[in-house]
Amino acid sequence: MKNAKIGFGLSTLLLLALVGCGGGDSSAPAPAADAPPPAPPVDLSQTGSLAGVVTFSNGDDPDIVIKMDADPVCAGLHSGPVESETRLADGSNLANVFVYVKSGLEGSFNAPAEPASLNQEGCLYTPRVSGIMVGQTLKVVNTDPTLHNVHAVPSNNPEFNQAQPFQGMELERVFESSEVMIPFKCDVHPWMQSYVAVLDHPFFGVSGTNGSFSIEGIPAGTYTVEAWHELFGTQTSEVTIGAGDSTDVAFSFGG
Amino acid sequence: MAAPTPPSKTPDRHYDFRSLNVVFALSSLALLAVTLFMVMGDFGRPWKRYQSEFRDLERAAILKELEAERQSLNQDQIATVNSEIAAERQRLEERRGEIDSLESDIVAFDREIFGSDAAMRATKSELDAQKYVYDSALQRGEEDSITEERETVASLTSTWMDERRTVQELETERDAVEGELEEAHSALTASEAKLNDLNAALSGLDVRLETVAKDIDYFMLNAPLMDFLQPTLRIEQVVLSGLFHDINFTTIDRVDRCQTCHIASGRTGYDGEEWEEPFRSHPRLDLFVNDGSPHPYSQFGCTACHGGLDRATDFARAGHTPVAEEQLHEWTAGLGWERQKFLETPIHALPFAEAGCLSCHADQVWTPESHTADTGRKLILKMGCYGCHKIDFEAFTDLPKVGPDLRKVASKTNSAWATKWIRAPREFRQTTWMPHFFYGENIKGAENEAFQEAEIASIVDLLWESSETVSYNPVRAGNAARGEALFNSIGCTGCHVIDGEGSREDYLDNLERLHGPNLIGVGSKVSAEWLFAWLKDPKQYRPDTPMPNLRLEDQEAEDLTAYLMGQRNPAWEGLAREPASSVARGRLVLEYLQATMTIEQSEARLAEMSDEEQSLFLGRQSVSKYGCFGCHTIAGFEETKPIGVELTEEASKPTHLLDFGHVHEVEHTRNDWIRTKVQRPRIWDQGKELVKNFGELYRMPNFGMSDREADAVTTIVLGFTKESVIEQRKAGNSPLTPTLAAGRKIVSHYNCQGCHLIEGAGRAIRTAMEDDSNLPPNLSAQGARTQADWLFGFLHDPSSVQLRPWLKVRMPTFDFSDEQANGLISYFAALEETVPFASDPEPADPRSLGVGTEIFAMLQCARCHPAGEDALADLGGGTADLAPSLLLGPERLRHDWVASWIKDPQGWVPGTRMPTNFPVLPDGSFSSPLPNVIDTPPFADAKRSMMRHFDSDAELEEFLGDVDRVSEALRDYIWSL
Repeated sequence: MKNAKIGFGLSTLLLLALVGCGGGDSSAPAPAADAPPPAPPVDLSQTGSLAGVVTFSNGDDPDIVIKMDADPVCAGLHSGPVESETRLADGSNLANVFVYVKSGLEGSFNAPAEPASLNQEGCLYTPRVSGIMVGQTLKVVNTDPTLHNVHAVPSNNPEFNQAQPFQGMELERVFESSEVMIPFKCDVHPWMQSYVAVLDHPFFGVSGTNGSFSIEGIPAGTYTVEAWHELFGTQTSEVTIGAGDSTDVAFSFGG
Repeated sequence: MAAPTPPSKTPDRHYDFRSLNVVFALSSLALLAVTLFMVMGDFGRPWKRYQSEFRDLERAAILKELEAERQSLNQDQIATVNSEIAAERQRLEERRGEIDSLESDIVAFDREIFGSDAAMRATKSELDAQKYVYDSALQRGEEDSITEERETVASLTSTWMDERRTVQELETERDAVEGELEEAHSALTASEAKLNDLNAALSGLDVRLETVAKDIDYFMLNAPLMDFLQPTLRIEQVVLSGLFHDINFTTIDRVDRCQTCHIASGRTGYDGEEWEEPFRSHPRLDLFVNDGSPHPYSQFGCTACHGGLDRATDFARAGHTPVAEEQLHEWTAGLGWERQKFLETPIHALPFAEAGCLSCHADQVWTPESHTADTGRKLILKMGCYGCHKIDFEAFTDLPKVGPDLRKVASKTNSAWATKWIRAPREFRQTTWMPHFFYGENIKGAENEAFQEAEIASIVDLLWESSETVSYNPVRAGNAARGEALFNSIGCTGCHVIDGEGSREDYLDNLERLHGPNLIGVGSKVSAEWLFAWLKDPKQYRPDTPMPNLRLEDQEAEDLTAYLMGQRNPAWEGLAREPASSVARGRLVLEYLQATMTIEQSEARLAEMSDEEQSLFLGRQSVSKYGCFGCHTIAGFEETKPIGVELTEEASKPTHLLDFGHVHEVEHTRNDWIRTKVQRPRIWDQGKELVKNFGELYRMPNFGMSDREADAVTTIVLGFTKESVIEQRKAGNSPLTPTLAAGRKIVSHYNCQGCHLIEGAGRAIRTAMEDDSNLPPNLSAQGARTQADWLFGFLHDPSSVQLRPWLKVRMPTFDFSDEQANGLISYFAALEETVPFASDPEPADPRSLGVGTEIFAMLQCARCHPAGEDALADLGGGTADLAPSLLLGPERLRHDWVASWIKDPQGWVPGTRMPTNFPVLPDGSFSSPLPNVIDTPPFADAKRSMMRHFDSDAELEEFLGDVDRVSEALRDYIWSL
């Protein structure tokens, strides 16, 4: 077949020569387009860290007590009143603020193989605020002897709502898209709430009860860093991180 | 003897060879030139350039992909496999002698088998012949030869059996040797297969690369004069029988050639930035072009939806329509584009592309997924275009009038308010759908303004004169704060907003929220007594109102009245009501009289008329002139025909029949005309001040449309065509369409989607709610979910059942007729492609019921669902806030649906609070957690109870591990409650 086509082609050439017509422009095939160079690997020797304290300008810290009476099992798991973590503040510092590098990073980062965990313990989600990476497994455990349902309501990932009626039940999920934040709720116990951020890099931290947070191993560079709080919204800050340096950044939320 | 005459100089022909040679030479050159010109013209057709360019682009893309693929290949792995192959080859080489001998053994065996097999076959045929001979001897009864023949048969049979055995033995031996040989090669084969797998993606790309190469074949096949044989550059066309193209007095089948240039329109993956038109994938291949989609290219082509000249292969002739001025210039300069003046159906410009949906979907009320066209439909319904313009499509026929009934208007508001309102409704309330009839752009000069004021005053006089007066009881003072809380929680916000800042544009994606009027300033409009009576029972004022009855207690209605009457607009109240000029009124009356009387008679008649008579006369004339009765019921005009032009085939009107007046700033195309008309309805009077008098000016009112609103309305109006499509292709061909259409009309008229999610759209009330847990239910799957009898009862009287007692939002009573209730029930069933009535369930299997009883407790279902009076008490009352009572299940829910719901609630109603009890496995299937826990101490009693129905532990575990049977067991338990 191929030979026939070539023979046919040659006769055409001959014919064209006789007719004396130049034929179409026989431009050479387009040269191969160069593939873009793969993303340069991140040079992890040139890294610095970011640390800081989240302050809370409105010192008002009402003790919001959760009423767990609706489920006697939950109430029985605690000896005293349970305070809501919605606005956990220690005097002038604010806890459960999620701080992460929002933009400016280049390159790709591998997700850790070990799963992150989210526990339902004493009818509360622990931790209340956390971060994981795209592709990392999130393991949700129910250590309570009562029914919980793990109801995640993401915007960029598929929603799911899974009951865990038995103590010790686990479920594992992997999120494919980054998203700050995915709210987790339990419809049986409306006070239960958790927020999980999914990022495509490992540079995030959550402020502790003393308001402090730190993020290690950030490649040197200039970034936009965002702090997120469930009630008070977000704040951003531009920071420059030098190799081997520890950079300070402060966020202040007001009630 | 005469001297020989010299040869005559006159030729023996009447033509001269020499000069003819010149003529022939010249004409053959001319012919050659023309031929060459023709050949080159054909060779250089623009679509060929696109195809060639696409080939280059695709080649580059494949090369890029190849490169990326090579990069991503694990070179180490390949090297390992390659060295394995080499080592294996080496090992085989070392065993060469052995392998050679095996191979020659096989050859020898084959030869021997061939010989033996031939011998065996010969014996077999001899045997068959002998059997015949023996049989014949038997037939003839020749005793002596029978014995002899029988012996021959026996001896041949034994020979044949021996030979057969030999062949089979040889074959077995040969197979054994072959096995040995294969065994020796197996490691090599495996390694080679591994290498192939690693390179599979590469070789796939290589094959693709070959198909787009520009090699010698490509140039030969597409060379001038040769390209008629088997060119690779060729016109791609599809014949669409059943979709017609109107060519005056007859229709012909469409033949779409668009894919000649839009080569990748039906392929996936051509949507990255590097792909530009005409080489991009269609953006919605899930809906269009693809074979698996509802509109495959082979059946619908392109022009059936997009418009344009189906057979054209030239950019300009195809009827491409630029989106903006900038694109127009770009196309004119770069692509030789010019407007096709004689093409009646150019391609819809991108903002109006969804107009094409209506060719087939017009009788479905709305087309799922066509957002712009559907917004246009809603706007036409809200603005009431169908009040003046007949639009003979299902969505716009047999509808009640869009505006309020004015036959009792005097007991609702006051005439000062009405005067100011008619003059400029949007000044009272920006979001109103009532258009501006007065002070339009074509009304110029003090005289015309005086005429308008006279018209407004006389219309109000007429309305008040003809209005019935109802006396309402006085209202007790309510609590406005409680009223506000009620307004925001019981569901008023599904249809009403109270918004003095926002414009209609802000609600364009939630038009349901503007279904009823924006109540800003309503305290300046209506009386408290009227409002209280209206809230308690809207139908006493207007029998055909879509406003439902919220079953308000007196106290609730009083609180709401107090809250709403507090919504005042002091600036508006302070506006003076201009007195109308009696001179202007007199002149208008005279003009109307002169239509039927002589000048003298009419002047005499005018002189006889009192002020009041004049005003009522002009009022009646003005209501007729502006067509107020198109949207409002007005006493004396109940049966008057609407005044507007029918729009059913508006977009099939030839452009030259559209009146552009003296306006040149607007392009003279159909879509520019429609879009300008809806946004500036009176623009065509520009420059006609001396030509037209007051009564002849355009009267279409101005709706104050934003650009997006105008685009949406233009889109749907462009879909009003006389498109001919055979019935089989119409979307309405399905037997369910009339049911769907009827249901959608009810849903649209009563604004069900203001609160509920139906067909994936709606729940506009969500934007007004802080807490999603108070949202009205999602009605996805309603048809599969509830029983027809129950739903019928519920629609008639929603207060008959406390389904979700925790909801503050209240399902109102719409006073549906039986026909409407049944229409909705059939509609929901049709959406689920099921029948509305389910057959009675079989009695439950005792085993299933027994297991269900125990699992119900194990899975703690009662933690959310009250399953009885005592269950409520057990949980301290918290349960009532979470899920419907299961006692309602058997009368409300469909038996055939419940098990499937228990298994996968999110699959039925995404976002529901009901969780699945069955963990989802990576492959998407569900698994049961019960077998893992059944042997733990807390469930010992449960297990003992269930074991009464099973013979062994294994049998019980098998049952508990089956998600479907567990779900059915739960359902059976619920049905026993």
